[in-house]
Amino acid sequence: MESACELHRKLIEGETSAGQIAEQLLAHIRRIEPQVGAFLKVFEESLFEHADRLDAKRKGGELLGKLAGVPIAIKDNINIRGEKTTCASRYLENFVAPFDATVIRRFREEDAFIVGKTNLDEFAMGTSCEYSAFQTTKNPWNLDLVPGGSSGGSAAAVASEMSSIALGSDTGGSIRLPASFCNIASIKPTYGRISRYGLVAFGSSLDQIGPMAYRCEDLERTLQVIGTYCKHDSTSVPEKDFEPISFERRFEKGFTVGVPWQFIEGVPQETKEIFERAVKTLQSLGARIIDVDLSILKYGVAVYYILCTAEASTNLARFDGVRYGLRSERAQTLDELYDFSREEGFGDEVKRRILLGTFVLSSGYQDAYYHKAQKVRQIVINKFNDAFSECDCIALPTSYSGAFTAGAKKDPLSLYLEDLFTIGANLAGIPALALQGGFLPDGRPLGFQLFGPQNHDAELLAIGKSFQSVTDYCMKRPKLGEER
Amino acid sequence: MKRKDWEAVIGLEIHAELNTRSKLFSADRNHFGDEPNTNISEVSVALPGTLPVLNREAVRKAVQFGLAIQGDVQLWSRFDRKSYFYPDSPRNYQITQLEFPIVKGGRLITFVDGDEKIFDINRVQLEDDAGMLKHFARFAGVDFNRAGVPMIEIVSEPCMRSAHEAVAYARGIRAILDYLDASDCNMEEGSIRFDVNVSVRKIGETDLRTRSEIKNMNSFAQLEVAIDHEINRHIGIYESERSVDQETFRWDPEAGTTVLMRTKEDAEDYRYFPDPDLLPLVLTQKEVDAEKEHLPELPLDRERRFCQEYGLAEQMSYCLISDKKLADYFEKALEKCKTAKNVANWIVVEFAGRLKDKGTPIWKSGIDPHDVGELVFMIEQDKITGKIAKSVADDMVAQPGVSPQMIVEANPAYQTFSDVEELKKIVHDVVEQNEETVQAVRAGKDRSFAFLVGQVMRVTKGSAPPKLVNKLLREEIGQ
Repeated sequence: MESACELHRKLIEGETSAGQIAEQLLAHIRRIEPQVGAFLKVFEESLFEHADRLDAKRKGGELLGKLAGVPIAIKDNINIRGEKTTCASRYLENFVAPFDATVIRRFREEDAFIVGKTNLDEFAMGTSCEYSAFQTTKNPWNLDLVPGGSSGGSAAAVASEMSSIALGSDTGGSIRLPASFCNIASIKPTYGRISRYGLVAFGSSLDQIGPMAYRCEDLERTLQVIGTYCKHDSTSVPEKDFEPISFERRFEKGFTVGVPWQFIEGVPQETKEIFERAVKTLQSLGARIIDVDLSILKYGVAVYYILCTAEASTNLARFDGVRYGLRSERAQTLDELYDFSREEGFGDEVKRRILLGTFVLSSGYQDAYYHKAQKVRQIVINKFNDAFSECDCIALPTSYSGAFTAGAKKDPLSLYLEDLFTIGANLAGIPALALQGGFLPDGRPLGFQLFGPQNHDAELLAIGKSFQSVTDYCMKRPKLGEER
Repeated sequence: MKRKDWEAVIGLEIHAELNTRSKLFSADRNHFGDEPNTNISEVSVALPGTLPVLNREAVRKAVQFGLAIQGDVQLWSRFDRKSYFYPDSPRNYQITQLEFPIVKGGRLITFVDGDEKIFDINRVQLEDDAGMLKHFARFAGVDFNRAGVPMIEIVSEPCMRSAHEAVAYARGIRAILDYLDASDCNMEEGSIRFDVNVSVRKIGETDLRTRSEIKNMNSFAQLEVAIDHEINRHIGIYESERSVDQETFRWDPEAGTTVLMRTKEDAEDYRYFPDPDLLPLVLTQKEVDAEKEHLPELPLDRERRFCQEYGLAEQMSYCLISDKKLADYFEKALEKCKTAKNVANWIVVEFAGRLKDKGTPIWKSGIDPHDVGELVFMIEQDKITGKIAKSVADDMVAQPGVSPQMIVEANPAYQTFSDVEELKKIVHDVVEQNEETVQAVRAGKDRSFAFLVGQVMRVTKGSAPPKLVNKLLREEIGQ
């Protein structure tokens, strides 16, 4: 399948119709989805209705939106009016959202095809997509492997071309880790760039919605549409604070890339090789490579799991069995209503994080945990600022290694450590672009990432485009179904 | 029990709902008394994916209040999440301000039992209200119309020494809110609610003893009774050599007593932390100064003005200004009659007394303030006697809206004997018929003169102006 931008061009220029796109897409999904399990729901009917409207609009000579005809899959923790938002949780199994998230509203305004809702770790808490209450999603490159998480469904949908673009949410790496595992690209923008209104909150000060696709051009196009100021989100950043996105812009010579060599010392040799190859490619594009000190990030996992669970413990308090969602049939008293509804509605990982977050905020422990973590977070921000005074962006591996076998990691702590390289960007609120880095000897994809200073999202994408123009990883597709 | 050996220490937390058009963090309507769950949207019921956006109008009102109490309005304040589970709390956390409130410090000056007193205020914080539980025969429901309504919580220092002082302070706070038009100040609707902390100590002690808290009262009368009840309970405990526990009570207005909510052991851990969905609330000095310039006349200013401009006694002045609408009413009445003291007296004593049973304040009675002014003016112009005026006032209360002129015109019994020639004739007849008494008057007997006046009044059925009767009688007798 062509890139989203290419597909859009073909539609605009009449080389294809929206109806054709929809038909081909659904045929492909019918073949592939049973193996991959990326979607919790595919909007078959509304897709055709939308296609008809779009074709009529085009025939009538109306101007089509920037994403007309582009299939986009939505992580199932983002509200679409009239559709369920389950967050892959029993608690919200039957919850129908009565309003559109701001990103969905923007997509509608630009005529995007909304394909369906994708699987995730329950409430976006996980790194393998195995914590979904409903199904497991397979890695399209090797069905025995996990796709990564928590936006595993979105990554798998894009990787297997069941959607050109997908939205995920990234609290600690949830769109970048699966990008790395599935050989696609994704950008977690600057905190505040994309409105969180309509995204079910996990760690509010860390959450960002981000697009996932094979090509940086497509990420760029998406960010241009949804990276707009939103009055419903108090943390939304005014557009004037951002560099405008330039489609023509490419990597400019003389840029400096910082690499925290010391911090990534411990990664396996094969990971290091792929990463070093990516750095060399950047160098070949004219980048100057320098060493930067980000050893503070070794505290990142601890800090992150204190802050995100603290916030999550209160964000998820609204799921109480009173107004919507699961209400336990067993409950006889108010306390039982709370206890049983949450007990039946939440999975183990969600409960674990609520308990952890409640603990770190409880009186007597706040200073030791929550307040200390906030202080370290500030140091992380300072260290990044120091680094960016010397370089334009920072290169890091995305993950320790490639995708692992489903069911292989049972210990929560080992799963938490998967976030080691990604959470720095969330703690500092800076943009992070995940790019394809190539393939491990056993064929598993592995990515790397670039961090930029706040509000420099466009710059990262320019570098990404240059990188993709001299590498061919983004052209590789997994072999799935009978057709291949 | 030797109550005089003990001193009470009282601190008040006053929750005042702000009368903004929309809620604190959403565009939903802020209005009392509507059909349950009609003033709500996805934000008010905390559907997943919703976010709070601060209402600047609520901030403005909080700033005005801070300035009115001479508090230190903070240019940087912050919102915190306060976690607790209750069905009327849709997020199961309240958004409030713990560490960095919008106003720090402040004071309230008011009149208590004839003396002016200054009460210190610790802080004012912005926060949102919860919904309301409604209990039915077989189930309970939640009305979320109130959920998200903006409130300020005004926290006093433990600076009050009696229930009387606490009530005076609370009334003073209410008056400021009223003058600023920051709150509806409707006690029955719960737009102002009180939590009170009470402890007692031996006179001379400087440390505070253990306090108890009574939550959620919404009338001054309840507040007074509850505090007195708590003071007596504490003293009783200490006098019997026991110790007071740190406990929280709810006031039961029907039983007239407190009901235990929780003890110190099961005190809630609210797990406060900064709300990541909201940015710090940043104000500029310019914005604060602009609010300061536009502050309306405040209760204390008005009290001072009433004393100076109208020559009212301090107590009378406080009595009028403590209710803004009453003070407005008074000034409106003055448009018809300049004798402020008399007008004040008629409003505060005569009419208030007549309206007491109805329980309505005069400004709500339907009686036009101009009519009150007119009534006092008629007395001063000798159009009616003071005695008749009281009857006219009775009628004005009975038929609000009917002017005193109309009442007098319609009732011959109220009409003053204004025909001087006719009155002269009556005086002449009385003098002629009471020759002996007249002699006594000429001999200097004042009581005899009073008898003659009475005779004239009897004939005129009390409608003759006493001053005029006196004058004519003296003339007739030749004094």
